Amino acid sequence: MRRRRRSSIAWWLVFLVAFLYFFVPLYATLDFSLKAKPAFAAYTHTFADAKFVGSLLYSLVVGLLTIVASLGLVVPTAYWVQLRVPRARSIVEFVTLLPFVIPPVVLVFGLIRVYSRPPVPFTHTDLGSTALLVFGYVVLSLPYMYRSVDAGLRAIDIRSLTEAAQSMGASWPLILWRIILPNIRVALISGAFLTLAIVLGEFTIASFLARPAFGPYLNLLSNQKAYEPAAASIISFALTWLAMIVIALVGRGSRTRVQVGGAH
Amino acid sequence: MTTTIERSVPSARPARRLPLAWLGLIPFFLFAILFIGLPVTYLVVGSFQNNQGATTLQNYQDLLGQNTLRSFTLSIEISLVTALVGGIFGFLLAYAVILGGLPRFLRGALMTFSGVASNFAGVPLALAFIFTLGQLGIVTLFLKGVGIDPYAEGFTIYSKIGLELVYLYFQFPLMVLIIAPAIDGLRPEWREAAENMGASSFEYWRRVALPILFPTILGSMILLFGNAFGAQATAYQLTSGTLPIVPVIIGAQISGDVLHNPGLGYAMAMGMVIIMGISIGIYTLLQRRAERWRR
Amino acid sequence: MTKPRALTKALTPLAIFAFIVSACSSGGATSPSASTASVAPPASSGSVAPSGSASGADLGPLIEAAKAEGTLTTIALPHDWCNYGEAIETFKTKYGLTVNELNPGGSSGDEIEAIKANQANPGPQAPDVVDVGFSFGADNIDLYEPYKVQTWDTIPEAAKDPNGAWFGDYYGVMSFTSNKSIVANPPKDWADLLKPEYKGQVALDGDPRTSNQAIQAVYAAALANGGSLDNAQPGLDFFKKVVDAGNFVPVDANPGTIVQGATPIALRWSYNGLSHRDEAAGNPDIDVTVPASGRFGGTYVQAISKYAPHPNAAKLWEEFLYSDEGQLLWLKGYCNPIRYEDMVSRNVVPADLAAKLPDTTGAVFPTPEQLKKATDLITKGWDATVGVDVVAPPE
Repeated sequence: MRRRRRSSIAWWLVFLVAFLYFFVPLYATLDFSLKAKPAFAAYTHTFADAKFVGSLLYSLVVGLLTIVASLGLVVPTAYWVQLRVPRARSIVEFVTLLPFVIPPVVLVFGLIRVYSRPPVPFTHTDLGSTALLVFGYVVLSLPYMYRSVDAGLRAIDIRSLTEAAQSMGASWPLILWRIILPNIRVALISGAFLTLAIVLGEFTIASFLARPAFGPYLNLLSNQKAYEPAAASIISFALTWLAMIVIALVGRGSRTRVQVGGAH
Repeated sequence: MTTTIERSVPSARPARRLPLAWLGLIPFFLFAILFIGLPVTYLVVGSFQNNQGATTLQNYQDLLGQNTLRSFTLSIEISLVTALVGGIFGFLLAYAVILGGLPRFLRGALMTFSGVASNFAGVPLALAFIFTLGQLGIVTLFLKGVGIDPYAEGFTIYSKIGLELVYLYFQFPLMVLIIAPAIDGLRPEWREAAENMGASSFEYWRRVALPILFPTILGSMILLFGNAFGAQATAYQLTSGTLPIVPVIIGAQISGDVLHNPGLGYAMAMGMVIIMGISIGIYTLLQRRAERWRR
Repeated sequence: MTKPRALTKALTPLAIFAFIVSACSSGGATSPSASTASVAPPASSGSVAPSGSASGADLGPLIEAAKAEGTLTTIALPHDWCNYGEAIETFKTKYGLTVNELNPGGSSGDEIEAIKANQANPGPQAPDVVDVGFSFGADNIDLYEPYKVQTWDTIPEAAKDPNGAWFGDYYGVMSFTSNKSIVANPPKDWADLLKPEYKGQVALDGDPRTSNQAIQAVYAAALANGGSLDNAQPGLDFFKKVVDAGNFVPVDANPGTIVQGATPIALRWSYNGLSHRDEAAGNPDIDVTVPASGRFGGTYVQAISKYAPHPNAAKLWEEFLYSDEGQLLWLKGYCNPIRYEDMVSRNVVPADLAAKLPDTTGAVFPTPEQLKKATDLITKGWDATVGVDVVAPPE
């Protein structure tokens, strides 16, 4: 049991400074967004703008596809590394850290050069360009996804779970889908959230691939309109908050874990 | 797929099993080669080429030139400053809500907010600070109201200092998120034991807490450094690229600035890769060391 | 595509003749970079309408061919620039094509790069048509597919390439756009920009190394500061003075930044300032002033990309823009369309539209040679003389 420390004025001061620093800019954005005439015009214009809804939906769909593809790639890999090939851990982790060190503008130029000609001309069609975008985002989100999933897997005893499932005749896909995934739910969700945040805010790759995504839309808005970008910022901030709260709530219910064998 | 149950003993695995097990990693490595490896190869090869396509070391020589050095210095400086300030204040903030005696709910609120704020970047963040400290910003107007005109003194949000102020918005929360588990790991028993032996607060910090936390704090600051070094969207939006930090210049060179020299852009990107690589490497090492203290 | 084929057969000899003539005359043009020459443009076998001027020729086959392509890809066309928003919507409704708009905030330099980067890529990233600054047109002839619109003859000689590679579309005058809620007393002339009351307020719209608008602003400044159309150096010197006075804010000006207070005084074309003023509708009050001295006229040009994935849609777009309807749409956006004199002489310009144009008496227009010299000087000399980075967004 932790003894409650005397709260000194110093810590309150630290918190106050932080509070001001974080909230004043948000308030300033809100204040500016209401300067349009009439007051909520910036918001109504934004919601009424077909491009706002369109680009937001497009990015959400791309985000979802990225999450699915990323999970499909990362979960079996992280699982396999922990279970069967621990020696591969360093090299796999190294690969997952590569996206951190490559500037996105370089990545997109490389992708375009490689995939804009036969044998795999992704950029020649709209669908292909979107596919290339998803692959680019999987790369960008790889570090976060892998770390999340890896941490989640380490917190549960995958060895025992796997053996128990195998002793009951389960196949590998079944093990992953029914046993492993539900037990790393929180890790999956936090990885998914980070991926979604990256996709929604990303600009460089979407812009060079000429995709109607939210990032380029927001950029365009900030160049052409005065009050609407402030409104769009508030809206996207609110959406992010919502997502975080959902995660926090879902995470609360994951205390139950399948215990196999003794306690750790 | 095998259905035999392996009693796994890590070091005693028979050698002939290894190649087969590694096959399971093929999809991952294939993806990495296709979508990371090939573009990176393009980058590496491009850094050795000039505008006419011939192979040359000129780009790397140009890296040491006046302009690019200035870029790197500026980027490194901004990243260092925001890593240090972000690291220290982020640590203090995390400590305040975890062990500083503040109401319990503030911790949850701060963690949730940090999750959101560490992703708040690019256009929305730059705009938020323009509305706060820009010429018409509410803080600027407030200061003018009490008699201080920051812009008359030469301050401007569109500067190195301004950018640093803005970067801190996602550096503080990142630090909070990373350091919180480590602060949690400071067992209260250690503090009590220290106090029982007559240590003052300061001595507890100096002898017990900081040495334990040090690898994590340092590692986190390095991660913050890398985070700032690679950030481009925010800087771009705030300063329209006026501050010649490295990611911005790379973008300009590669995508066709009038001084169009993609080879140089790629060489600069390689420089960036090396710097980021070193910082990630140190971070990983420090993290492994810090894990000693976590159970 | 059966209908156009009959017409093509009939016009093929004419086409071949025209092609030979244009190939011979452009044979002396130097190729700017190796990369352009090494990639063959996509086969334009489906391309309709010869490159000879065909006033009175039926547009029907071209419309059919364009509809078969289905899409037009444009680049760097903000909707509030010369009323392009309405022009694009009208084009879409009239011909039933979709328009894929790339990078609305891009600069002329970005447009040229987009053509170059997508030479082998017929996907949605490749632009069909560009609208670039005058010198960007003349400098990149190798990237363009020559085409002469039906109204070709009414375009002034000085504003077009004889072979149809590029052709002027509209012009305006460099002016000062001020946000009156910050700038109570807007500047009236170039010398005013050095006044201490405008500290940290003066901005360019774009990067003077890639953006035509920014480059021409510097060129314009030269006229009022002892320079001339042949000597743009005083423009660079003037901006150095603005920087030294602390009046320059190195942020790319646009309607957003003007209202938000980042760039209270912006140097933009008169048409951009005026359409912004209209859109702001008093919230805030935007003042657009054409400077008393140093009135500089700038012309933009249209061109069709040689690597256009939709060549017929591109040609149809040009026909639309150069029809009276298209030209009047530009006029509505406060741009002086290139065929203005012709349309006035035929009484097709509504009086109220004509009245809204700003007073530009005394504005001077550089020749292509003067422009090239000045552009070279400014783009290369900015860093050395002024030394402040204003990089245009890499969208």
